[in-house]
Amino acid sequence: MRVSKEVRQIARELLHASFTDNQLDPGRVASVVDSVMSKRPHNCIKILDYYKRLLRLEVEKRHARIETATPLAPATGSEIVSNLKKRYGSDLTSEFVVNPEVLGGMRIRVGSDVWDSTVRNRLERLQQQL
Amino acid sequence: MSSILEEIETKIAGLKTSTTKSNVGVVRETGDGVARIEGLSDVMLNEMIEFPNGVFGLALNLEETEVGAILLGDNVKISEGDEARTTGKLLQVPVGKELLGRVVDTLGQPLDGKGPIKSDTFYPVEKIAPGIIKRRSVSQPVQTGIMAIDAMIPIGRGQRELIIGDRATGKSTIAIDTIISQARLNKAAEEGRLKDHRPLYCIYVAVGQKNSNVARTLGVLEKEGAMPYTTIVSAPASDTATNQYLAPFAGASMGEWFMDHGMDALIIYDDLSKHAVAYRQVSLVLKRPSGREAYPGDVFYLHSRLLERSARVTEAAGGGSVTALPIIETQAGDVSAYIPTNVISITDGQIYLETDLFYQGVRPAISVGLSVSRVGSAAQIKAIKQVAGKVKLDLAQYRELAAFAQFGSDLDAATKARLDRGQRIVELFKQKQYNPLPVELQVAVMWAMQNGFLDSVPVERVKEFQNKLQDFLQTRKESLLSAIRERKELDAELGKDLKAALEDFVASKPVG
Repeated sequence: MRVSKEVRQIARELLHASFTDNQLDPGRVASVVDSVMSKRPHNCIKILDYYKRLLRLEVEKRHARIETATPLAPATGSEIVSNLKKRYGSDLTSEFVVNPEVLGGMRIRVGSDVWDSTVRNRLERLQQQL
Repeated sequence: MSSILEEIETKIAGLKTSTTKSNVGVVRETGDGVARIEGLSDVMLNEMIEFPNGVFGLALNLEETEVGAILLGDNVKISEGDEARTTGKLLQVPVGKELLGRVVDTLGQPLDGKGPIKSDTFYPVEKIAPGIIKRRSVSQPVQTGIMAIDAMIPIGRGQRELIIGDRATGKSTIAIDTIISQARLNKAAEEGRLKDHRPLYCIYVAVGQKNSNVARTLGVLEKEGAMPYTTIVSAPASDTATNQYLAPFAGASMGEWFMDHGMDALIIYDDLSKHAVAYRQVSLVLKRPSGREAYPGDVFYLHSRLLERSARVTEAAGGGSVTALPIIETQAGDVSAYIPTNVISITDGQIYLETDLFYQGVRPAISVGLSVSRVGSAAQIKAIKQVAGKVKLDLAQYRELAAFAQFGSDLDAATKARLDRGQRIVELFKQKQYNPLPVELQVAVMWAMQNGFLDSVPVERVKEFQNKLQDFLQTRKESLLSAIRERKELDAELGKDLKAALEDFVASKPVG
């Protein structure tokens, strides 16, 4: 779907208005959406769609997905999360996923950044090198 | 065997402790050879992106929320939701002498079934052209072996000379003749028959052509023994638009390796019209804004940055060169269309081929009036300059008078002589395809014409006279030809010898 320049610009401004102290504020997001719905500007649905997309990307940037083959000990998990929060900010949310396909080790994804020390990744790299 | 085991051991050891950091994104849309990826926040322009199943892409559009990438492999292997990662590398192709004699695709992978290419040097496909300090002016000739070109539109090493004309007017033939001529000269130099010759290696880039055409070209080059000095980069019509767009750049990289190592290379881009069409397709599916004739705004930059990579560099930079012969196909002789005008303005001259001349039997069908070479005359050897200095003027005057003479039958003697001379030059410049002439023969034949030895020969028998003269010189006056080849200029002594040889030949009444 082609999004016009105007729609992109308005959605960007709305996103900008959804932050308080550099952190996404759910209350402001709700009020922004309410205000757009009540004013019903031209291209209202497209603006909201694009705003939703920007919001999703913004949430993904602040969300850590930690994949392991077996469940992590609670202490290890909280240590990892606190380390990640130091790096990415205190509003980072986290999710622990058990995925036997990784075979061993850990894979952490925050936004576009991935740290991978899984056995599966090492095997794949070895396969490529050989 | 033990070294292989050690190598594997070190690779495994390297993997034991490592945690890799990468930058990933998710494929949101794919089709028509492009993918749109969300994420990839650290991706750079023109960086290679790795997809699952060993497919690679090239990041061309960096947008606010997504990245537009062109796919280099099989795009059916990629689906929505797949993870793509950055590699930190630019697209590279193998380069070096190992590629000579081979037919490769855009990525430098062999297509000829002669096994893998054992090159360990790689060059990026997109490279910045040599700067001002590294360059020097053109001063060495590229002997095309086509008499009309070597005499009137000479090409120098490091030059960019456009070959332009309608379909089926002999554009590719000129390029192939030039490759064959280089191969013969290179071979003669290797065998010690030619002194002080810098070998010229050829790269023929076929873009958007039929596979049968490429096969035919390969067949001709193999038959003429030109393949040991030639690489063919093939991105045929059945290949993806991405590969067709990248093929000329890959060919340029292969040529640059020769230049960087003090050697000379000749690249033929056959043809840039189809290249522009492939780039237009890529740009349109990437949703870039379109301009005139739906080409994207940077189609001029596409060709200018490609052709700017041809250069002759100074001794300090190796002294090598890359010569480019781009080919453009016009529609109904229209040179004022978008792509032809762009490429005409970029190159250092053009060889214009006319359909009318082609069907009149003037082959190669070079239009003398519209063809120019802006820098090549500095590269002509002195002997050619001595015999061909006035030819272009003579021919231009002939064409003007020929049109005028149609209306009247009474002509003064001077006009008639000029017309006769013009007709004979036209006949002389007719040349069979795949039959390049060595420069010394060109000099001898044109000397004969300049000195009136052809004036008594009927126009329709000029070609017969020329062929017999060539045979005579090659079989009976080899020493004279080698003297011209070595001295590269016609001094008084050579002039005398040539006169004697010609008188000898004419006395034998070659055409009755």
